[in-house]
Amino acid sequence: MVYYVFTLVFFCFDYFILAMGLNIQYGETGILNFAYIGFVAIGAYFTGVFSLHSSAGTGQHYILGLGLPFPVNLLLGGVATMAFAFVVALITLRRLRTDYLAIVLISLSLVLYDFCNNFVSIFNGADGLYNVPEPFAKALGLTVNSFIPFFACVTAVISLLMWFVMSRITRAPLGRTFRAIRDDDVVAAALGKNVFGMRLKSMLIGSFYAGIGGGLLIQFGGSFNPTAWLPGETFVVFAVLIVGGAGNNIGMFVGALLVETLLIHLPAFLPEIPGHPGLIEYFDNAVVGMVLMVMLWFRPQGVVPARLRRTSSFGVIARGDDASPTVSAHIAVESPLTGHE
Amino acid sequence: MQLFWLSVGFGFVTASVLAIAAVGLSLQFGITNYVNFAYGDFMALGGFFAYVLNNEVFHLDIWIALVIGSLAMGLFAVLVNRLILGPFARRFSTSHYLLIVTFGLSLIMLNAAYSIWGADVRFYRMPIASALTIGPLRFTRNQLIVIAIAVALMLAVHTLLKATRLGKSMRAMSDNTTLAMTSGIDTKRITTITWFLSGTLAGVAGTVLGIGEGNLTPASGELFLFVIFAAVILGGIGSIYGAMGGALLIGLATEISAAFINPAYKLDIAFVILILTLLIRPSGLIARPGTT
Repeated sequence: MVYYVFTLVFFCFDYFILAMGLNIQYGETGILNFAYIGFVAIGAYFTGVFSLHSSAGTGQHYILGLGLPFPVNLLLGGVATMAFAFVVALITLRRLRTDYLAIVLISLSLVLYDFCNNFVSIFNGADGLYNVPEPFAKALGLTVNSFIPFFACVTAVISLLMWFVMSRITRAPLGRTFRAIRDDDVVAAALGKNVFGMRLKSMLIGSFYAGIGGGLLIQFGGSFNPTAWLPGETFVVFAVLIVGGAGNNIGMFVGALLVETLLIHLPAFLPEIPGHPGLIEYFDNAVVGMVLMVMLWFRPQGVVPARLRRTSSFGVIARGDDASPTVSAHIAVESPLTGHE
Repeated sequence: MQLFWLSVGFGFVTASVLAIAAVGLSLQFGITNYVNFAYGDFMALGGFFAYVLNNEVFHLDIWIALVIGSLAMGLFAVLVNRLILGPFARRFSTSHYLLIVTFGLSLIMLNAAYSIWGADVRFYRMPIASALTIGPLRFTRNQLIVIAIAVALMLAVHTLLKATRLGKSMRAMSDNTTLAMTSGIDTKRITTITWFLSGTLAGVAGTVLGIGEGNLTPASGELFLFVIFAAVILGGIGSIYGAMGGALLIGLATEISAAFINPAYKLDIAFVILILTLLIRPSGLIARPGTT
């Protein structure tokens, strides 16, 4: 029982991290990243191969196999995801409009899945990675049962740390510039903002979060299976984001709790219906889609709506807890005065 | 060399499936101005409608099942537009939301199909046909029918757009919806008809995909979707003739490349072409007027 509860706790905090990463890309900057789960997969893969030892004699195929200890491999996994995102952003972000970008990214997501599934010598094909070492398990003498509560707590601490950093970023002039670009990139460009550079930064920060979230997933489960990274999984993160409230970090936690924990993982404990393997899972995924549509229709701002911020240039102290009717006008005026990064 | 000609033959079959799907997607995109990410699932569902008629009830001939299944898919698409996409499109002016909604629709349709038909691979019941040789190319009878269907549909769409009043209204709406509306075109009716055509073409494409590949699963449209995108973008998004040309090029390129490299990567070839198009000529082979 404790085992199940802590599994839920883990997924809640992990998706909190993932949703924060997507939030800075979509919620703050307006980049519709439909390949998000691909970045998560890259993070998971690299965290895995940084922590696994050399592939000789294991019957698996992968690159590197450096055998690095836990926090180091996770950080490097995040950095590897950023490197990948940098290449993707250079190709796609410079001149593609929203719908083109969405098409290219969803295609990228499908191709990554297809590629992982077929390219045995790097990704071990459809088998994926397995037997990834559990962090601290040997050093602390943890068993399978005590590892899960332990790692859920580690994830919770990491996610709170990352939430703290993210709330600083979104409150800083950088975050304000992101929102200015989201609301009107032409205005932001006219005010001297490097729109492409800012989108690139947002993409990189978000990918780091994706990489860390993915790395924690593979460390928790100990394995990497390509079918877990189908493009539809991106949608779960979007559901967390929309339900929680786009553009709001606390909302991401609420969304993770409601969608990931209650909708996705709790029904997984229901008994299978005899004769219909996987029916509950399919039904559950369809329900996630419906919840998202209902949410978008009746409450598009999410459970915890984003707070609109004013700055001292309006004679109001920057607390961010008062509602103002038009956010774009304020940002357009405030950014040249305060944003100088 | 024989392998080369064999793959050219396959290329024409894939190009036929692609052309039908790409034209269906482009028609709808041109009119409503947002991308339908559930299009792959429209295809799969259309394929399953034909499968049900072919294998489970009535046991119709596959070609009759194709016609009825596709028309049913057209009605389904109209229903989806009436109940879900249309209201969302009227309510939200930003295309972000609509893309997420169609993405969600895709998830719902995929999982509904999985719930009903399961993940097993299905096969159409059809007569085994002998191979025919045309010049250096070899086709089965079914493959030739698939190609013929594609050619006939392309001609039909061409005639519709160029020679009928309805097609003229559609082109006007595609260029400028507001102007079309003020000129007295019933845009709501045109949108409904377009969704019907788009859904029907998706149904045909899904069924012939099942016939061409020899199997059908709820996810078979999903993976095919980005090959359609590659064809549409290569041709120039929103351009019907571009979509036809793009489909031919992508179809041939993916199948011919499969003769020289590992066939598992033939989809990746389409992706490489997609990226190269976006880098070199992002407007596509045939640019749509007024867009960049």
